[in-house]
Amino acid sequence: MNPLRQLWNYIRKTQIWKSIFRHNYPDNPRDQSLAVLTNVFLHLHPVKTRKSGVRMSFTWCMGGLTFFLFLIESVTGILLMFYYRPTLEFAYNDIIALREHVPLGILREIHRWGAHAMVITVWLHMFRVFMTGSYKPPREFNWAIGVILLVLTMLLSFTGYLLPWDQLAIWAIAVGSNMAAATPLGGVEGPGTMLLKIGDVSLVHSGNDAKFGLLAGRFIGEATLLRFYVLHCIAIPFVVTLLIALHFWRVRKDGGISGPL
Amino acid sequence: MTSNDTPDSGLNRKEFISWFWLGWITFSVVAGAFATLIGRFLFPNVLFEKPTRFRAGDPESYSLGVDERYKDSQSVWIVKSSEGMYALSTVCTHLGCTPNWLNNEGKFKCPCHGSGFRTTGLNFEGPAPRPLERFSIAVDTTGNIVIDKSKKIRSQDQWNDPDFMLKV
Amino acid sequence: MDWLNESIKEVINFLSNPVIYFTVVVIAWWWLMKFHRVWVQPKPMKIALIASLVFLVWALFDPNFNKEATKPDNIPIWLMSYGVAFFFWLSISRGAKNDELMAAGEPNLEKAESDKKVYTWPDLVYSELICIVAFTAFMVLWGIVFDAPLEDPANSGVTPAVAKAPWYFLGLQELLVYYDPWIAGVVLPGFIVVGLIAIPYMDTNPKGNGYYTVKDRFDEIWLFGFGFVVLWIALIFLGTFMRGPGWNFFGPFEYWDTHKVVPMNNVNVSEIFWIKILGVGLPSNILLREIVGLVLVSFYMGALPKLLLKIAKFKAIYEKMGFVRYYIFIVMFLVMASLPIKMYLRWGFDLKYIISIPEFMFNI
Repeated sequence: MNPLRQLWNYIRKTQIWKSIFRHNYPDNPRDQSLAVLTNVFLHLHPVKTRKSGVRMSFTWCMGGLTFFLFLIESVTGILLMFYYRPTLEFAYNDIIALREHVPLGILREIHRWGAHAMVITVWLHMFRVFMTGSYKPPREFNWAIGVILLVLTMLLSFTGYLLPWDQLAIWAIAVGSNMAAATPLGGVEGPGTMLLKIGDVSLVHSGNDAKFGLLAGRFIGEATLLRFYVLHCIAIPFVVTLLIALHFWRVRKDGGISGPL
Repeated sequence: MTSNDTPDSGLNRKEFISWFWLGWITFSVVAGAFATLIGRFLFPNVLFEKPTRFRAGDPESYSLGVDERYKDSQSVWIVKSSEGMYALSTVCTHLGCTPNWLNNEGKFKCPCHGSGFRTTGLNFEGPAPRPLERFSIAVDTTGNIVIDKSKKIRSQDQWNDPDFMLKV
Repeated sequence: MDWLNESIKEVINFLSNPVIYFTVVVIAWWWLMKFHRVWVQPKPMKIALIASLVFLVWALFDPNFNKEATKPDNIPIWLMSYGVAFFFWLSISRGAKNDELMAAGEPNLEKAESDKKVYTWPDLVYSELICIVAFTAFMVLWGIVFDAPLEDPANSGVTPAVAKAPWYFLGLQELLVYYDPWIAGVVLPGFIVVGLIAIPYMDTNPKGNGYYTVKDRFDEIWLFGFGFVVLWIALIFLGTFMRGPGWNFFGPFEYWDTHKVVPMNNVNVSEIFWIKILGVGLPSNILLREIVGLVLVSFYMGALPKLLLKIAKFKAIYEKMGFVRYYIFIVMFLVMASLPIKMYLRWGFDLKYIISIPEFMFNI
């Protein structure tokens, strides 16, 4: 017998190998089932799937790509955090340093383009789910979770927009935060807000309205940068992760990838 | 004390239901209050922002027209007209961009959505719903102009208020 | 040849003005859905793809077009446009194919295979792996070829000549031209999110669950696609490539001149009614002044849902959905329809606000 094959057979009999893998190479139904069942990541999937649901021409792989892009964004984002400091003094220079002063200076590029790509794939995923009528019973609630995930994807991208602290960033946020100021009854420029007062004291003013909550101040400044940084890196990804888990769980519980009844 | 139908709990069904709801209502109120406090946590009590009052020099150092010297540092245009001096906010009343002063055309033009304002701050074109805001302007004992950005007027009716129009 | 080149560009510049552009897109949508059986064959799709690529290459020789089209920040828009076009074609053509099969009494493409089950390993996990590898290669290549956008350091004193939101919000930014921020920035996005979530609860059509079809849910696809393709994607395209300095309109081959002056003298309904028609001044009482706008808006939102029931199509919807679903649907529908209505009112009559109460910052 060829010595490599001998070695391979030996390795597979060691206690270490057997403690990790509970099955042989999945080339037969039993091991194919075990491969999916005994792996925490693969067991997101059922052991067997509808043939129509596996086809790329049916799913376009858009939901999967969106999730994969979320992983890309998480990994590149964590790496970027090693260099980026969210302060007025350093933010812009750190962004340049990420291109010029570190090896593999394309991580920010991948992160930025990945964010754009994720917005596109999440829209196309929604479009596919609509066109196949996959939101219909029993999947109504999962569609609702999906819509919220879509909104959160755009919020993730929007909060990330401010972090380079360039002209593009602050003016996009200036326009965005002034829209928050126009919230009816909740923003200082919003319709009806000026009616909310006790005597002469306004209940909603530039020190406590929706814009203030978004910017952590009355103007875009260091507190805003920090707030968007935390939202972008921790707060929204935390919520998104929870909802993704719920979304996938519901896909399984509602009957897997949709197919004709 | 104990009623016959519920000897062990000391509560009959009716009493239990009211305690049950009272418990849940209390729980919801406290949980809601706590959530509100967490929301309130995001609105700080103290702000470290630039002071809203600043001195803008001697009124005599200004010539007729729009002066841009405090545009970048204080977001204020100081305009001297035949009626007096006034301080205009550089924040467009549409969505908060900074308009550009176009001297040749004699107007402020906002690059974001095309709003135009006269030198008085009056909105005359584009989507801006109101004139540019004006800040309180006065002369202190040293003869310097003092502008207080915490006091401002929105409406055209108050333009001649002496706090906002410095006679020179 | 130059004169030909230039005159074609002139014509395209003219045709791209928002009124014509939007009208063409709406009519195109209507025709695309009506005659979908014609273009779902591979041949028309290939012709359209090649024609658009030829046009694109020709257009890229124009310096003005080139400047905007190849801006790093605008590259995702091309991916999105081609992506949406391709997947729209794919879903409709599979739907049309399924319709044919079902009309012939045969099971549709999905039904034919839905009872067959395959092992997830290897059939599904391997296609996932291939997707992941190919996509990673694509992302790395994209990152190497194009630098991520970075402009000058932030300066709150200088607004750049063109201040745009991130591209995926440009449809909303276009709406800011027609609506005040509280509607365009807060109310309409709220309605979009709530409306999307409400779709499965409003759509009572039991057909079309889990397979592509056009015939079984023509109206639903028409309405959703109108919102997605016409009111969202087409407006993003307009906002990205045809809105220049000062949010003025520029044709795709036009130089973005910062000093372009477009007179904007928009009037409110109250001004038209009291000054132009009655020839008197505006009344000082706010409610009296805005009475026409208030009546119009309350008619639109209050009376129209009931009046529309006189139309057979809406009557059928009502009978299918029932009272509560119908009213939620019709409110969503009217809010969505108010967009093109307000756009055409602005273009046709220079109308600024239907109700204008700046005293309470309440403008519609």
